[in-house]
Amino acid sequence: MAVSWLRKLASRTQVPVFPVLGKQGDRALRYLALSPEIELVDSPRHASVLLIAGEVPADRFEPLRRVHDQLPYPFTTLWFRSEPWPHLENVPRVEKLDELPGALITAHRELMAGQRDSAPRILTDKPPNPWKGEGDFGQGGEGMMGGVPYGRPMAMNMQDDIRDGLTLDSLTFRLGPFFSAFPPGMMAEITLQGDLVQTWSTQLAPYPQSLDPVFFTARERPVPIAELELARARHHLHRLFQALRLAGLENASLDALRLAQNLSTSSTLGGLRRRLVRSGFFRLSSMEGGVLDPEQARQIGGPAARAAGLDDDLRLEDAGYRRLRFSPACQTHGNTRARWQQTLNEIDQSLHLAQQAERDEVYTSEVDRIETPRGPWSEQGPEDASPLLDEVLPGLEWGEALATVASLDVAAVVNEGGGTQTPDELRVVQGGSGNVFK
Amino acid sequence: MFLNELLLPVLMVTFMLTVGAYVVAVLDRLIAGAFGAPQAGSVWLAPMARGAWLMTQHANATEAPDWQAWRLAPALYLALAAIGLAVVPWSESLVATDLVTSVVLWGSVEALATVVIFLHGWSANALLPLIGGYRYVALGLSYILISMFVLIGVALPAESLQFTQVVASQEALWNVLRQPLGLPLFLIVGLGMTFWGPLNLADSADLAGGTASEISGPPRLVWDVARAAMLVAFSGVAASAFLGGWLGPWLPGPLWMAIKMLAVLLVLLLLGRLLPRIAPERCVTLMWVVLLPLSFLDLVWAGIGALL
Amino acid sequence: MNHGIGVDIAFLLLATLAVVTGWRVFRTDSMVRASFFLLVSFIAVGVIMILLAAEYLGVAMFFMMAVEMTVMALFMVMFMMNPAGLNPMNMVHQERIAIGAGIVGFLVLGAMALFAVFPDQPVSASLDPVKSLGNEMLGDSMLIFESAGLVLLTTMIGVVVLSCHRGRYGAAAEGSLPPGLEPGGDPAGKPEEDEEEEGGGHHHHHHHH
Repeated sequence: MAVSWLRKLASRTQVPVFPVLGKQGDRALRYLALSPEIELVDSPRHASVLLIAGEVPADRFEPLRRVHDQLPYPFTTLWFRSEPWPHLENVPRVEKLDELPGALITAHRELMAGQRDSAPRILTDKPPNPWKGEGDFGQGGEGMMGGVPYGRPMAMNMQDDIRDGLTLDSLTFRLGPFFSAFPPGMMAEITLQGDLVQTWSTQLAPYPQSLDPVFFTARERPVPIAELELARARHHLHRLFQALRLAGLENASLDALRLAQNLSTSSTLGGLRRRLVRSGFFRLSSMEGGVLDPEQARQIGGPAARAAGLDDDLRLEDAGYRRLRFSPACQTHGNTRARWQQTLNEIDQSLHLAQQAERDEVYTSEVDRIETPRGPWSEQGPEDASPLLDEVLPGLEWGEALATVASLDVAAVVNEGGGTQTPDELRVVQGGSGNVFK
Repeated sequence: MFLNELLLPVLMVTFMLTVGAYVVAVLDRLIAGAFGAPQAGSVWLAPMARGAWLMTQHANATEAPDWQAWRLAPALYLALAAIGLAVVPWSESLVATDLVTSVVLWGSVEALATVVIFLHGWSANALLPLIGGYRYVALGLSYILISMFVLIGVALPAESLQFTQVVASQEALWNVLRQPLGLPLFLIVGLGMTFWGPLNLADSADLAGGTASEISGPPRLVWDVARAAMLVAFSGVAASAFLGGWLGPWLPGPLWMAIKMLAVLLVLLLLGRLLPRIAPERCVTLMWVVLLPLSFLDLVWAGIGALL
Repeated sequence: MNHGIGVDIAFLLLATLAVVTGWRVFRTDSMVRASFFLLVSFIAVGVIMILLAAEYLGVAMFFMMAVEMTVMALFMVMFMMNPAGLNPMNMVHQERIAIGAGIVGFLVLGAMALFAVFPDQPVSASLDPVKSLGNEMLGDSMLIFESAGLVLLTTMIGVVVLSCHRGRYGAAAEGSLPPGLEPGGDPAGKPEEDEEEEGGGHHHHHHHH
């Protein structure tokens, strides 16, 4: 009796969901963030339901299997707009966004009530590599150190320190492609010394992101600038949401999300901006890292470039925008703080432009060269800039590095709205290091 | 003797642990709701439902963890919170253990908390908890030092290391006024020690939950309860050391104590919701270069006050 | 000496704990475990001291040993990002000398416990152990010692702050180097770079800040 009473109570908790983002799965993430019955968690260990949102490409199945097996019993899975693996039986699949929270709640409740069995483990529970300790006492190697126990080299002083001469042991591991603080789909191999990033090599590029359809329409015919600018502001607010969540400002991040959801030409940014300044977001959080030099800034383009002092903006070439007397505002420092200040300024600017454009009914005039929120799109759309992280992040502390990743919009843009997607480029994967897949 | 010296104090501390942790969970939800977090269902039932879910979830394993330390760490942190609650006086006579060195005992609770938090991060044998554990140790030392100087400051006018004496010494003037730097510094230590809100660097979002990122089920429940209970113990110590403990007109002593503890809790939880997480590097600088010198100043101020 | 049976039981349990954890220090295969076993052993001894009415010394033992062991474990492990259990290490060295020293130490201390004549001077019940300990140790010089301690700590922090980040020749983070003896020359007082080192592994000279 007691147990059933406990389970009944347990079924009434906020449903802890670990989201695994597939292509275009971030929309589901944002929808769930505002659902009161759902709690999005950062670690699969903290979840009751594994949500696979969007199609996960085949090269990320192996990490997905590992994440699947990291959820503690009892747990269940839900596939949203993606095909469940055939060997998983009776796995629910959901197509409509507004049905998603309800489906998650049902999954959790049924699991608690015992109406649904916990999902089985897919992989066998054994170390990926056998123990290879060499010493007499079971230690890694000859003497005190060395050897490759469990297929991993022991952490050792193998690299010079790159910052202040304090050389600690370095530890190499892989993180992603489902780590919540990374852009969806990105995986990196990282060497840390203490919590200082020693080397960073991006192994899997983030999924190409799809922009608001209006940007694709703008490539075909003139569109109302008001609509274009609102979509731009929304895109930036969505990125701000992720960054504020990472910075520990959960309530402010939800404010940003709500603002994005209800964005209209009468919206203002003032309240959110004041709240961020007052909370000390620009002063207390990790904000000094990720300084881009002009060449790197140009590679990424968009707000990141303007935050580094380049005043490139294709909107300057558009007659419609000239009518609205548009001129890009820039920051100079090119670090994380400058990028967020630039982003806030651009959201503000977009809202003003949208207001003016709606009143005067201004349309764009250029179709071949447009400025997307991700960067300029002339002959080719904005391309994946994640290799740039390999240059920018070494030397930063972990928190600083993740704040930098959140402030840089590196994912490529899908070439056609909802159409074919470029296959992800799988870069060389080096072996022999610990894997952490989240 | 057995009843008075063992059973009653244990019952009292257990009661405070449970009620305190529950109050923290409810208050935090209420504050989050007031700032616009979406909420469903009853705020009063939510902590229980969450606890029940964690009870049904299995405790997971990682690859070759240090089992003993991993399972013990949450329980030890809870035990430390219990020790902290045991030295908090509710009135002149109502105190679980009225040790003559209770202020020093609280100091050692802070020091041992560093050990336990590090052990919790280290023993999981996983990367992100490990970084969380290291971060706490790097910062924990500065928290301990600041707290030590601030507490020596309140022991000086009382001429005693006993919390009951410290409270009694505030009959004429509360320490929050006598040593104006003390309480703000001590509150920052409190946020640090329970790694709450802006100083949550050990269990932070950039580490997917830090030292707690690999635990689930009952151990996670114990860890969460222990953190909340530590916050309560801390607010009890802060209320005794700076806000005159049970002293106050009209109402009975324990009630005053409860009101003051709630006030401290409320301030800490509000700070936790309002401020972003501080960058670790900046936090180290802040602690050693700004707050520690301020705590020296507080001590010198207290010393001059005691000499005059 | 009148004390309850509870005190006796507590003493025996704590003494056993102290000895067992002390022994585990040498039988474990990780530095972190070794230092924390030592900490448990010390805490057990600290509680025994509280049982002996040395309240301040007992509690101070918790405090000091906790910080000390943390710092020790941290400094040892800081140089090895070696998560739990994964890479066990051989924790004993120079066994013969250590065993010899251990036996000699045990014999000397044991002999002292058995053969020494301890003074039998019951103290009055009204004596405040904390206050009298302070008076016994430092007496009137307490204020001077406390102030000196504070000044020393301030000095240490000051030295670290001044030396660690911004040195004489610029920020440590940017590779603080003395200026050359002639304009544009090599930094003064720096040993010649090892050529082989340049050839091997990758050097990270550029820095992003």
